[in-house]
Amino acid sequence: MRNLICSFFLLANTFILSAQIEVGDKLPSVTLKSSDNKEINIASFEGKYILIDFWASWCGPCRLGNKKLVKLYATLNPSKIEIIGISIDTDPNKWIKAIAKDKITFLQLIDANGFDAKTALLFGVEELPSKYLFNEKGILIIKNPTDEQIINLIK
Amino acid sequence: MKKLYKKYIRSFALAILFTTTSQAQIAKAQIQATGLTCSMCSNAINKQLKSLAEVENVEIDLNTNTFTVTLKENNSLKPSVFKENVEKAGFFIGSLILTVKPETIAKEPYIIVDGKEKQANEIQIQVLDKGYVTDKTIKKLAKSYKNSMTFNNNNETDFHIKILN
Repeated sequence: MRNLICSFFLLANTFILSAQIEVGDKLPSVTLKSSDNKEINIASFEGKYILIDFWASWCGPCRLGNKKLVKLYATLNPSKIEIIGISIDTDPNKWIKAIAKDKITFLQLIDANGFDAKTALLFGVEELPSKYLFNEKGILIIKNPTDEQIINLIK
Repeated sequence: MKKLYKKYIRSFALAILFTTTSQAQIAKAQIQATGLTCSMCSNAINKQLKSLAEVENVEIDLNTNTFTVTLKENNSLKPSVFKENVEKAGFFIGSLILTVKPETIAKEPYIIVDGKEKQANEIQIQVLDKGYVTDKTIKKLAKSYKNSMTFNNNNETDFHIKILN
């Protein structure tokens, strides 16, 4: 019995380690805490395009990207696309401060465990920033899309 | 039951014996990485270091951009292992500070060029050789240690060190 449990965990572990989302894959169901302290499931926005942006307050290129993303978000129709930032900051206070400083208006969630965060492992995030664009059916269509690609899709 | 107890004590004593006799090892390495992009923003260095059998834990200090690598006891790693692995991940070392026992640096391949030897339990040393400091620093150091017999040989098997504490 113990062996069975052991092998189950081993199997589960290898699954998590090798998990990585590829184009054509479905948006996983992950529930994380938002910056206004709510539990949000990222799969609850199906029916809209969903852009998931992994970042952290200590990542310079991400902070520059935030400012661009805020501008882009202001030009998009919010009924057609949901932008979700997922921070892997280990210190939630720094995350909250960065959101205020970058004046981020779109949804912000946190998985406060750095690159070892479960969500980061699930998506296969190897560097920051990393973006994933899903269509209305929740299928991954582009990794790290450009602004133009997003605008053209969501006309 | 009694037998088991004895066995326990014996292995415990053995463990103590080993820890006290262990020598010439690096306990911890603080690596500051540099590169063209944000080195902290890539999981590559973290992953590369964690893949080493001698590595116990890797912590990233984001305020100082430092990877702190805690090593398992009785390892026989040399400073070059950090350089090789950081470079394998596509980055360079900006500074490398090691926590070692005093007896570690009393022997080869370490050459003390700065700082005084101390009788502390653990001491911190910085490796000053090429590839372990920034290019800018190495130019300055080459001038400072121009009288050293070995520093400017750029021999990759010996390590010139500064004792920090």
